[in-house]
Amino acid sequence: MYQLIRSLPFVLLALNSNNLYSHDGEIHVIEGHSKADMLEQCVEPTEMMQKDHFGFLYHQRDNTVIDGIRTKQHSLANCIDCHVSYDKSGTAIPINSEGQFCQTCHVQTAVNIDCFTCHATVPREKKVKASLKNNINKSHKLESSTNSLVKYFNESN
Amino acid sequence: MIDKIVLTKYIISPKLFWSKFFLLGFFILIGFACSLYMEHEGHYVTGMNNQIVWGLPHIFAVLLIVIASGVLNIASISSVFDKKLYKPLAPLSALLAIAFLIAGLIVLVLDLGKPDRLIVAMTTYNFKSIFSWNIFLYSGFAVVLAVYMWTMLDREVNRFSKYAGTFAFGWRIILTTGTGSIFGFLVAREAYATAILAPLFIVMSLLYGTAVYYLILKTISKFHNTYISDDIVKNLRKLTIMFLFANLYFLFLYHITNMYIAKHLDYEIFILSSGGIYTIAFWVGQLFVGIIMPIILMNSSRLSLEYSLILSSVLILIGSFIAMYVIIIGGQAYPLTIFPDHVIIESSFYDNVVHSYIPSLYELGLGLGGVALALIIVLIGIANFKFLPTIIKPANVIPDKDDAAD
Amino acid sequence: MNNKSINRREFLVKSITAISAVYIVPDLFPKAIAAKPLDQKVSSSTKWAMNVEVDKCVEGCTACVEACVDENGLYGFDRPETDSQWIRKLMIKDIKTDKITTLPMMCQHCENPPCCDVCPTGASFRREDGIVMVNQHTCIGCRYCMMACPFKARSFVHENLTEQLTSAPRGKGCVESCNLCVNRIDHGADTTACEEACIKEGHAAITFGDLSDPNSKVSKSIKRTDSRRLRADLKLKQRVTYSGF
Repeated sequence: MYQLIRSLPFVLLALNSNNLYSHDGEIHVIEGHSKADMLEQCVEPTEMMQKDHFGFLYHQRDNTVIDGIRTKQHSLANCIDCHVSYDKSGTAIPINSEGQFCQTCHVQTAVNIDCFTCHATVPREKKVKASLKNNINKSHKLESSTNSLVKYFNESN
Repeated sequence: MIDKIVLTKYIISPKLFWSKFFLLGFFILIGFACSLYMEHEGHYVTGMNNQIVWGLPHIFAVLLIVIASGVLNIASISSVFDKKLYKPLAPLSALLAIAFLIAGLIVLVLDLGKPDRLIVAMTTYNFKSIFSWNIFLYSGFAVVLAVYMWTMLDREVNRFSKYAGTFAFGWRIILTTGTGSIFGFLVAREAYATAILAPLFIVMSLLYGTAVYYLILKTISKFHNTYISDDIVKNLRKLTIMFLFANLYFLFLYHITNMYIAKHLDYEIFILSSGGIYTIAFWVGQLFVGIIMPIILMNSSRLSLEYSLILSSVLILIGSFIAMYVIIIGGQAYPLTIFPDHVIIESSFYDNVVHSYIPSLYELGLGLGGVALALIIVLIGIANFKFLPTIIKPANVIPDKDDAAD
Repeated sequence: MNNKSINRREFLVKSITAISAVYIVPDLFPKAIAAKPLDQKVSSSTKWAMNVEVDKCVEGCTACVEACVDENGLYGFDRPETDSQWIRKLMIKDIKTDKITTLPMMCQHCENPPCCDVCPTGASFRREDGIVMVNQHTCIGCRYCMMACPFKARSFVHENLTEQLTSAPRGKGCVESCNLCVNRIDHGADTTACEEACIKEGHAAITFGDLSDPNSKVSKSIKRTDSRRLRADLKLKQRVTYSGF
């Protein structure tokens, strides 16, 4: 009984909700420039994001994969798009690298994130856009040949 | 005057205990390191690929689990079928069952692509999948065994041991059915997709479990005054011969049924004659070394009862390993018949060739680590709990002239 | 000539240019006529399907395979035994007539998928609109679905990946397979990458579309040709059908 009472302050300290959510209102300095630098808040109010961002991602991933709902607000790709930093030469820095957006909090809270085993760490689109390029070439060629047709008909008038 | 048989804790000399402990611990550490490397680098460092998706770790894991359910047979005979001869041997049998089960599960889990997602596997279930049921069956089995061991060792609840034993027996039959059905429910492969794999696995478990039990009991008795009477040896021999014939029967039935099914005939021809290493493994390993040789040895009059049983048990275990190889790897080696009326002549995904499998050292390390884990659990168990049936000579008896003649 | 009236030659030239432009523009932005809104759940009123007209498939052409690799970022490590293949070209010979055919083979998107039956966590699942895919958040990498697939459609990712595309997350330790370009069709495209590439090559052997729409390319293709399912004896009711052999 006595030991229980003695341990109570420690229990209260450990279970104190103030300790469970860290970095309320803290601003981190991150190398490089990201879109998020310019914005006042995230897709939700900052406090809500700090406490519940995992909840949003957790539900959104099921909505996206199982139900095909691909809204941008809580999508991980959208987070990365905004929060990824670009260095001076304009190359994107992988978002899960040391000192970048995710790790500044996650290292301190010692919560391992598994997202980037699978998800791209920088916005990366299809490498070969041959179809688009081909079409642009095709339309240029066609345009030039119809232009000459128009010229021919005009001249023959 | 008969000797008294009591269950005792094995008071092992520290030197013996710790030397075995560190030896087994070394193999466990190697196994763990191998699995960590495979998980970190990715499975390309193993011999498993998109063609042979289950390899050496799965051979070890399935074999350990099959042995776990089979080794409980000794306890089941004593509790369920009321054979008093085996009652002193029953607690050790339950300990072996738990040890091999835990080892098999750990090897299986450590080979997953994402072992860190074990929590996901234990909380998200798809009950159409026999794998899902197996997670319940295997972990539940450990609990059932713990209760069963308690009823056997604690005098106050001893009267419940029959009920606990029957429950454990039923559970273990369902568990082995589940293990066999992992393969039996696969419609895609000609080697599997048959209900007979479940009873085949059950008789395999009976055979291998008896062999493992006897070998471990004999090994312990080298260092400790463990009770193995002639009656027990004779009984175990009878059981082993019976299980050997049962195995022969189910194996024969499995293959001959497959040969009648025209679409499975190609696979049977592959395994039985044209499969190269798989054919040799089947005929020489699974059949001759694993079943025929033990039958011959047990019936030979030249060897002593005990020695023939020891030798047969060793051969049975070698055969068991090769049998798992033929079933698991051989079943995957033969390419899928996607076009029954056509022959695939070219494919970038190896659809037109027999797949080869060369295991890496990491997989062997993981498998051996699992075996070492099973043995270390046995070691710790017998040193700390009263599992071993020990012969206690009655202290206050004056040795008779008759006794001296025994 | 005043500005109000238009002579016949000018009219012809202008209309030819206009028609040609309309012909090219759809290739730039392939969009479905009625795309599902992003915030709406997929439903079984859409039935994605694919028909492959095997007689149009050309030996030696691998446009569909390359397009799939580009679309999904399936870069390999020069290890053909462990590299992922979501679609592959097979060359088969009829044992009765010795006739040689080539065809693309990918996940057949069965209505009774054996892979979904065996997945312990339910990661391998069939979406309401018929696409069979792997929920890689729940996949534990046990490879049981690879054992179960009669078509060897699935691949296991054997090594660390770092150059994934944003639109196609994939990673080490999970199993993956053709998902009918689910990301792009959810965003409104009406072609898969393989279909688009095949059309571009001029073969048009692959047709993809919504079976519930009788005017879709795939419905018309199935009506026009004798389509059948591979390993029909297994009664898996695949959404991918083949015609021409």
